Amino acid sequence: MLLQQLVNGLTLGAVYTLVALSFSLVMGLLAILNIAIGELFMLGGYLGFAVIAAHFPLAAALLIGMGGAALVALVIDKIGYEPLRQAPPITPLLSTIGFSIILQNVVTNVWGSDPLQLPSGLFDRRVHIGSVQIGVMQLVVIGVTVVLVASVALLIQKTAVGRALRAVSENREVARLLGVSADRITLFAFMLSGALAGAAGVLISLHYAAITPYIGVDTGLKAIAVMVIGGTTSVWGALIVGPLIGIAEVMTIAFGGSQMRDFVVYGLMIVTLLLRPQGLLGARSDSGQPV
Amino acid sequence: MLTVRGLEVLYGPIRAVRGVDLDVNAGEIVALIGANGAGKTTTIRAIAGLTAFRGEIAYCGRKLRPNAAERNLRAGIALVPEGRGILGRMSVGENLLMGVYCRSDRAAALADIDRMYARFPILDQRRRALASVLSGGEQQLLAIARALLSRPRLLLLDEPSLGLAPKTSDIVFDLIAALRRDGLTVLLVEQKARQTLKFADRAYLLENGRVITSGAAATLANDPRVARAFLGETSAASPAAPSPLADQPVIRPHG
Ligand SMILES: Nc1ncnc2c1ncn2[C@@H]1O[C@H](COP(=O)(O)OP(=O)(O)OP(=O)(O)O)[C@@H](O)[C@H]1O
Ligand SMILES: [Mg+2]
Repeated sequence: MLLQQLVNGLTLGAVYTLVALSFSLVMGLLAILNIAIGELFMLGGYLGFAVIAAHFPLAAALLIGMGGAALVALVIDKIGYEPLRQAPPITPLLSTIGFSIILQNVVTNVWGSDPLQLPSGLFDRRVHIGSVQIGVMQLVVIGVTVVLVASVALLIQKTAVGRALRAVSENREVARLLGVSADRITLFAFMLSGALAGAAGVLISLHYAAITPYIGVDTGLKAIAVMVIGGTTSVWGALIVGPLIGIAEVMTIAFGGSQMRDFVVYGLMIVTLLLRPQGLLGARSDSGQPV
Repeated sequence: MLTVRGLEVLYGPIRAVRGVDLDVNAGEIVALIGANGAGKTTTIRAIAGLTAFRGEIAYCGRKLRPNAAERNLRAGIALVPEGRGILGRMSVGENLLMGVYCRSDRAAALADIDRMYARFPILDQRRRALASVLSGGEQQLLAIARALLSRPRLLLLDEPSLGLAPKTSDIVFDLIAALRRDGLTVLLVEQKARQTLKFADRAYLLENGRVITSGAAATLANDPRVARAFLGETSAASPAAPSPLADQPVIRPHG
């Protein structure tokens, strides 16, 4: 039973990790909170659903979900962020809230406001390991998350683009002096962030075999909490905190009742803000914006 | 190589640079000197492409666009900014890799990094160290080495001796002189006027955003206006009366 919950928690945590990573890519780089990431996640889910409904394989759903969300992220950068770069940080925050609402509207118009459901039997195969039942889709969620997170880590730490990204985040002007096109790197960060959110959306919606236009709000806020607990200035805090929060949430539902589920996450966020505002992995001296 | 005509830079209502003309010929070391707030940094930043400006800046016969730092770098203009511009969250090695970011000849670029390590053994020893833990002098060497890796033809340096001990700034000045012998053209901003005028070929003295005098470094070294511009640093050869503020500490907003 405990082991079973652990696996369920890890599945949920994997999705939180992806979305939190998506938030902190933009947050760490530009010190702005792209609220619309929650809706990119939701959009990814719908695109994934549409692809599966058209009888394409899961890999295609992932690619389309990631690509579609990345394209919308491109639009958000070009319209909602780049022209506002000189403005106070609250301004792009407001514009991304605008994009959130617009995206919810668009999706509601295209797919309706009622939850969509996948025909049963599509992804509900399970494997038994001892007393633990693991859905194949759970394995996919966890596996894809591990692969994506490892790729992003490798990209950021080991490649020229990743170095340029870190350079822009540390000192935009110095990066430009070294020949980095800061605008293009910013766009890249937005799109990478969008692709991660889109992937998370595809994974979770296929896992639950259901989706509504509003799942982005709940998951988005929770991912922000995960990012805050992990430290907004460190991209890597989410890797530890995401799975922990997922497990904590599932355990709370199992042993405390579902009316308690959000208490743990947001309670932890507030405790973190009070006791360790820089987050678990955030450095005290870092000058990232407090959320 | 570089021609600046009627350069003006505004920060909102503040006219930081008000019509500067200057020339840098290939192979020269040209110094831009002047008191705090004279507009030296603003001038050199405009040339590097970090700000908007009015007037004209031409490099090798072609006009430079305002605010086009990435493009200027690829054309051969590199700036080591005020305060060194080290990427402190990266290692020394990663800083040098950022130096070759603009280059497409990967193999030659990596060979250049090795050559840089050979030239600056101190950087070689600290390859893996975070750049932020280096001493000020080491950071300045790193900043210059990183700028050189883009293979510039014109190197811009903004106060390379800022915050360095006298011995260390001598090392940096010697390095600049050596770079010129290698064929590099240098435009540098300096506060340490007396020392700078010893190894520069020509200099421009800036005051309130204007060039008030210019000429051969040896001549300017004896110019009373130069002595006056630097409170506290009165040249022994200068006949000028010391400024009434001469014994007050120089205020260093960027120090
Ligand atoms: N970002 C800015 N916004 C507003 N005013 C500025 C800005 N940067 C510089 N200034 C003003 O422009 C003028 C010239 O500054 P600048 O930094 O170019 O001088 P400087 O000669 O480099 O001085 P220092 O020796 O202190 O480095 C000063 O009056 C300064 O206060
Ligand atoms: Mg200056």
